Amino acid sequence: MLELRDVSKVYSPGSVNENCLFRHFSLSIPDSQFVSVVGSNGSGKTSMLNMLCGSIPVDEGQILMGSQDITKIKDFKRYRNIGRVYQNPAMGTCGSMTILENMSMADNKGKSFGITPGVNKRRIDEYRELLQKLGLGLEDKLHTPVGALSGGQRQAMALLMSTMTSIEFLILDEHTAALDPKTAELIMKLTDRLVREKHLTTLMVTHNLRYALEYGDRIIMLHEGHIVLDKAGEEKANLALDEILALFNQISIECGN
Amino acid sequence: MKKQLLSLLVVLVLVLSLTSIAGAEAQKTYTIGIAQFAEHPSLDNCRIGFIEGLAEAGYVEGENVTYVVQNAQTDMGLAQQIAAQMAQECDLVCAIATPMAQAAFNACMDSGKPVIYTAVSDPVGSMLANAEGKSDKAITGSCDLLPVEAQLKMIRAILPEAKKIGILYTTSETNSESQLKLYQETAAAYDFEIVASGISTGADIPLALDTLLPQVDCMTNLTDNTVVSYLAVVLDKTNAASKPVFGSEIEQVKNGCLASEGVEYLSLGKETGALAAQVLEGTFAGDIAFVSSEGGDMCYNSEVAAQLNITIPEAEAARGVDVTKE
Amino acid sequence: MGIIIGIFEEGMIYAILALGVLITYRILDFPDLTVDSSFPLGAAVSAILTVNGMNPLLTLPIAALAGAVSGLVTGLIHVKCHVRDLLSGIITMTGLYSINLRIAGRANLPFFNMETLFDNGFTTSFPTFLQPYSKMIVVLIVLLLVKLLLDLFMKTKAGFLLRAVGDNQTVVTTLAKDSGLIKIEGLVIANALVALAGAVMAQKNRVFDISMGTGAIVFGLAAVIIGMNLFKNISFIKGTTAAIVGSIIYKACVAAALSMGLVPQDLKLITAVLFLLILVLGGVHKKKVKFRA
Repeated sequence: MLELRDVSKVYSPGSVNENCLFRHFSLSIPDSQFVSVVGSNGSGKTSMLNMLCGSIPVDEGQILMGSQDITKIKDFKRYRNIGRVYQNPAMGTCGSMTILENMSMADNKGKSFGITPGVNKRRIDEYRELLQKLGLGLEDKLHTPVGALSGGQRQAMALLMSTMTSIEFLILDEHTAALDPKTAELIMKLTDRLVREKHLTTLMVTHNLRYALEYGDRIIMLHEGHIVLDKAGEEKANLALDEILALFNQISIECGN
Repeated sequence: MKKQLLSLLVVLVLVLSLTSIAGAEAQKTYTIGIAQFAEHPSLDNCRIGFIEGLAEAGYVEGENVTYVVQNAQTDMGLAQQIAAQMAQECDLVCAIATPMAQAAFNACMDSGKPVIYTAVSDPVGSMLANAEGKSDKAITGSCDLLPVEAQLKMIRAILPEAKKIGILYTTSETNSESQLKLYQETAAAYDFEIVASGISTGADIPLALDTLLPQVDCMTNLTDNTVVSYLAVVLDKTNAASKPVFGSEIEQVKNGCLASEGVEYLSLGKETGALAAQVLEGTFAGDIAFVSSEGGDMCYNSEVAAQLNITIPEAEAARGVDVTKE
Repeated sequence: MGIIIGIFEEGMIYAILALGVLITYRILDFPDLTVDSSFPLGAAVSAILTVNGMNPLLTLPIAALAGAVSGLVTGLIHVKCHVRDLLSGIITMTGLYSINLRIAGRANLPFFNMETLFDNGFTTSFPTFLQPYSKMIVVLIVLLLVKLLLDLFMKTKAGFLLRAVGDNQTVVTTLAKDSGLIKIEGLVIANALVALAGAVMAQKNRVFDISMGTGAIVFGLAAVIIGMNLFKNISFIKGTTAAIVGSIIYKACVAAALSMGLVPQDLKLITAVLFLLILVLGGVHKKKVKFRA
């Protein structure tokens, strides 16, 4: 379970630009639920993810992971149970290091990084197998620096790397937004497969309303730090794209977009 | 293409360096390297004197001597490289100032080329000579240790009432340390007390003086490179406080110090040149004990004295030189 | 021939320093000015221990350890006190100046009459025809050992993290590792290498001088950048080689300029022009784009 309890967050406090984004905001995500989050620009989607992961502190309220209060825990410690993929494909991998080196690092998450060989040779076949499933031909390029790959290939790697070890939560921050439609589709299918296989509690921010509807168990629409739509299960299944679009347009117009 | 150009450049540079060395070795006359640590009037005088001294002994530039002159511009790494190069291409290396002397000594240790140093304040402490002033390696030279006694005696004669002498020194200059020590040991004999203030860079001088000046009756300079380079700053402060500064060399007196009983580097250089001539004639350098500068070149600045309302006693004026009348 | 040997001796000692700068500048993207003081720190430690009768070889690891501590200080100031990278280095550099004077006891500490790393039973046992190269051989052994260990380290898990933190800090954080600690680790290793270079230099010159570190960081950066530009598009493993070659080339350029009888006043300008030429001919150094969360 992942929970934001009564959270408030003010940006630039004390200045003219003081902007209260969240006021007593609460959200609870049960285990193994796949939640899609949509909303206009500035609605607080990414801020919500950053608060969950500890990239930005909250002013008030609690963040709970499982039954543990993680509000005061540093970001890097939270990532023991969290995998995260960013919008920018370059963020999830190290460009100057090879595919094999990147995979090996990801595979070692949660263990100690000591003075032992960086690549575990016995695991190479397994990495190859994982890469093969992507269908991008990466299994033959183990010694290529990741920086030489295309955005889609890097994002696929980032997704694979973030879910390699036994994590419980997956945070996807518009992870298909920077990709062409075909690659985006591929990454979404891969995401769905990984989430189902590993029973991950997933929070996916997206601008693509169709993906939000098509994938996941629950849909949330955020607007200025508030949840304006929250449908799960049957209700979500019965939602039509038009309805969401209408609601989305309505809040966007309010914003003057 | 670019890569080729680049490698061409590197090769060209290397080849040029090789050919010029080969050229130097082909000379039949003596090739003498003069390695100077810094650009500095005193050190320049050492060099000029050295060349004159050798010429007086019959080793004349262009006839039977070729000079290779290099200046390390106070760069330690460069000093090492210059020394290494001279140890190879020269028959004798003259090293001016302590760091250069140490670098040359070290570089010539293997090649066995003789090293003649000058402007070294403490050859024993710098491990260039043993306690007898000699060495088992091919090295000798001259020492520019300040005539501290003479200077203190002169200050006493000019300022009979003075009690405390201020000294500024740079903590990184090993010459200054040994000179300061000498002042501290000798001062009591002339009824003086030394108040010293250490600085790390020239920029520290104004603040250090603000603290030091109220405590002292006058200042005296060491051959400290940093302080001497910032002499104008020093004089600015001391003039404002109407306290005289005694120099460590004639150039400083010309520039506004009251008087000095300093090292005369030109003659020190000449003596060093004479040592080099001895070595060229076959004496093992290590067998020659290093020579020390003979002090007693008293000079004073009558304009400065007038400004400060100080009368130079007749006895002192008679034996000294007034730099304003040259 | 002697000049060439001299270039290699000097170049290879400074190459050890360049390897340290490679870690901070190239891998961590951290302009670490500690180097100007950790280089003489290593020299001071090695000199004072040698003067007091310790085996010169043993002084090297101790000097490296001292350098490691100086890196640790810079790292802690940067990561824990949130001081900017450049400033943290300046703070440590400034403080170390006094500490170096304290360690050596004086500004210039010679040890001409002692056994050194380059003048001992081992080097005198070389056959006569190898004698002129004995210093070069000793430096080569130390340098190769350092390079080999560094290359190996970069292939370990800890090495992977170090490379990752300079490349993309976000990856390290999502791997549940404290990127600050890893930066500190990098600074520790880098300054240990720099101090080791200082110690070897003091052993070769048979003297410690407080001012011997002046310009060390400039030299290190120049060596790394020259090397990197000569061997572009390379993975890190060759980066160590590039830094070493860069260091030797830099020294060769200085030696060439000296040999061509250039007026010493112009030397720095000539070096700067050569440096610029190499940069331009080698293609403008492209800084890797950094992303931040």
